Order: sequence, then C-alpha cells, then structure tokens
Amino acid sequence: MIPQFNLTSVRKRFGERVVLDVERLLLWSGRLYILTGPNGSGKSTLLSILAFLTKPDHGDLLFSGELVTWAADELSLLRKRVTLLHQFPYLFDGTVFGNVAYGLKVRGIRSEALRRSVDDSLELVGLNGFDERNVGQLSGGETRRVALARALVLNPDILLLDEPLANVDKESADLLERLIAFLPSNGTTVVMSTHDPHQGERLKGEVIRLLDGRVNGIGNYNDKEAQICPPMKMHAI
Amino acid sequence: MGFVRESFGTAVGLILSLDWEVFSAVRTSVGVALWSIVYSSVLGIPAGVLIGIREFPLKRTVITLLNTLMALPTVVVGLLVYGLISRQGPLGAWGILFTPKAIIIGQTVLAVPIIANYTLSAVRGADNRIISTALTLGASRLQSAFQLTREIRFGVMAAVIAGFGRVISEVGVAMMLGGNIRGYTRTMTTAIALETSKGEFAFGLALGIILMIVALIINLLLNHLQQR
Repeated sequence: MIPQFNLTSVRKRFGERVVLDVERLLLWSGRLYILTGPNGSGKSTLLSILAFLTKPDHGDLLFSGELVTWAADELSLLRKRVTLLHQFPYLFDGTVFGNVAYGLKVRGIRSEALRRSVDDSLELVGLNGFDERNVGQLSGGETRRVALARALVLNPDILLLDEPLANVDKESADLLERLIAFLPSNGTTVVMSTHDPHQGERLKGEVIRLLDGRVNGIGNYNDKEAQICPPMKMHAI
Repeated sequence: MGFVRESFGTAVGLILSLDWEVFSAVRTSVGVALWSIVYSSVLGIPAGVLIGIREFPLKRTVITLLNTLMALPTVVVGLLVYGLISRQGPLGAWGILFTPKAIIIGQTVLAVPIIANYTLSAVRGADNRIISTALTLGASRLQSAFQLTREIRFGVMAAVIAGFGRVISEVGVAMMLGGNIRGYTRTMTTAIALETSKGEFAFGLALGIILMIVALIINLLLNHLQQR
C-alpha cells in the first residue's frame, strides 16, 4: 500500500530559523491525524507544505507515491485534491453562496449541479438558508462553518484543518467536531492541528506531536507513549 | 470683479447655447481621455498586481522607477512620444502625429505608472490570505490573481479615478502631440490655454467650468460602479 504523503528530510527555514525539520513522516489515506505541539512548533508550516502552498527548502515530498516537483502545472492539479482550512479563514467579499461556490466555479462546474452541491454543503454545516447572506453579517463560528462548507463542497481527498475549533462557540465546535470525526469513514484523509488535548481524545485520531519543528512522537491518543517516543519506535513509519 | 462676473455670464451663455467649438473640445477631451484610461488600465492594473504578488530581482528598483514615473512632466512624455512618432522617428510611418491617436498614446504613457502604482499599493494593503485561500480552493495562479483584484476593487477603482484625473487635466501631451487643431485635436485644456492667451477669458472660463463638470460626472459614475 502506498502512503498518501511521504515526507523525507523535509526542512523549511524562515530566515535563519528552522521552523520545520521532519526526518520521515508517512500519512495514510482515510485516516484522521491530529497535529499537536506548542506555538511555533511547525504545525501550520507542515500543513502549508502538505497543502502544496509552501515549498520546503530541502527534502522530498511524495504524494500517492509520486515525487512532487513543485512545477506550476503540477501544483495546480495537486491543489485540486487537497484543501486547507486556515486557522483564521478568509471569506471572499460577497455572499455565502459565492464563497462556497468558488472552488466549484474554478473547476468549471456551473448551473444546477453547482447550486445543489452548495446547498448540500451548507446543510452539512448547519447553515441552510444562509446562501444569500453577506459574509460581513456572519459571526466567528458561522464564518468558520462557511469556510468548512467551502472546503467540503469540493470533496477533497485530503482536508487539512489548522486549529479549526479554536475560538469557536460551543454549538459550532460540537457540529464541526462531529463532521471532522465522520470524514475519514467517507474516505477523506484529515490532518488537523489543535492545542486542545481533549479534542484529540474525542476524535480518536492518530497523534503527531511536533516540538521545535521536529516530529516528537506518533501514536494513538490514548497511547501515552506517543507523547515521548521518537517516531521511529512507533508504528507504521 | 465685474469682469469675472461678466465672463462667467458669457461662459454660462456659451454652455447653454451649445456652442459648437466648446462642445467639439469637450468631445475630443473626453474621447481621448476615456480611450487612454482604458488602455492604461489594461496595462497598469495587471502590472500593479503582478509587481505586488511576485518576487523577482530588482523589484525595489522597479517600484522606485514607478514612483518616479508618477511625477513625469507631461511635456517630457510629449517630447518622448513626439520623438517616436514624428516623421523621422521609428514609428513615423504610422503618420499619427497631430491626431487624437497620438494624444491617446501620450496620455496612456502618462497614466500607466499612476494606475500601476495605486494598484500596487492596494495589493500591498490586501489581506495576505486571499491568494492562498484561492489557491487551496483549486484556483490557478491567474484565477487567484483575478480573485485578489476583485477583492481590492475599491483600490483599483481609486487608481483608475486618479489616472483619469491626470489625463483629463493635462495640457502638455495634448498640445505637443495633438497640435491643438480646431475641431480635431483641440481639447478643453489646450483650448483654455489658447483662448485665454488670445484674451478670450469667457471662452476659457466656459471650458474650465465644463471641465470641472465632466470630471465630476466621470467621478460620480466611477464611484457608482465602485459601490455596486
């Protein structure tokens, strides 16, 4: 079986500072991964690399067994399979419908199929009837739900979530958590970063712990060893 | 004071009587200004966006050059374009000197740095998540640049308005490249300069009033578009 992502000696610097230094990391299809670690541990940078938005300075990234060359044409195709939900999502000026439909429109999907997909996606995040609402009228939790609907409508192979539940009201957090937990059973690989240890426990994903840009442990959340063991001693890598 | 009042009355009379010479200058002015603003927008907006979002060698130098070009005197532009399109110039065969086309070329050169610079400022002030959001939703680089331009459209519109203000009010390019030919290349500003020097103050004042009204109408239209 070929892993969906295979990272070898991947390094990224910002100026003099090495923000990510991953010796080896494999991510498998249809699983839920939870990235944990303190601020500045490299979670967002790793997600950005996995989303093909940031090119590493060093190392190899294989996607479904193919080496990523970071050529413009290739990136355009790869980004259609992976979607990143930013920590503070940006909604384009206009309506909720316009936002959720954006990714479909750039894929050339139009008319009735587009309308149906947008409606289904908004229903999934509990925002039916919000389509004509201006994004300026949304609360923080609603903004995040629209951003998730905008990602889900594309039915990506991999969904990357950068602290999706931070600063969200409880109602939105519960709903988003249920959705995230459901996605892997649907075949979607989810990689989600979080600060909240209880979220990881509830979602029952595999934990990847980052510290100073390095993978510090991998394992199931209940596995206390995951917090301390170096990755090579853990499973599947 | 009586002279000014009398001239103002004559000016209003010329406007109300739909004086042929006045309206010919208005038509030429607005026509060349609109065409040059279309061309300079087509060139200046993508240039501003591109310079804003791409990293390339000598980027700072290009930005400094753009800033300098914003202050380019109109007579210098007139001189340069004159050198290009006069009979001895490399584009002399086109035979466009002293035609409205020559004025459009000159005014386009004048407005491109202004529109590019204002657009660049808008790009620099834009939220840096716009491009990455568009890309992660599957947009190509071109589509993401379009989305960015859409998000900063108010800034872009301000750039177009500033460019229009520059070209509708300039004299040097219209005079040097148009030749101030009555009924053909005479614009409002060249007519004002000529008529005032001849002592036709009322005629100049009439054109001055119309120039202000035209500028106001165009700005209102652009503002209306901006708010849609």
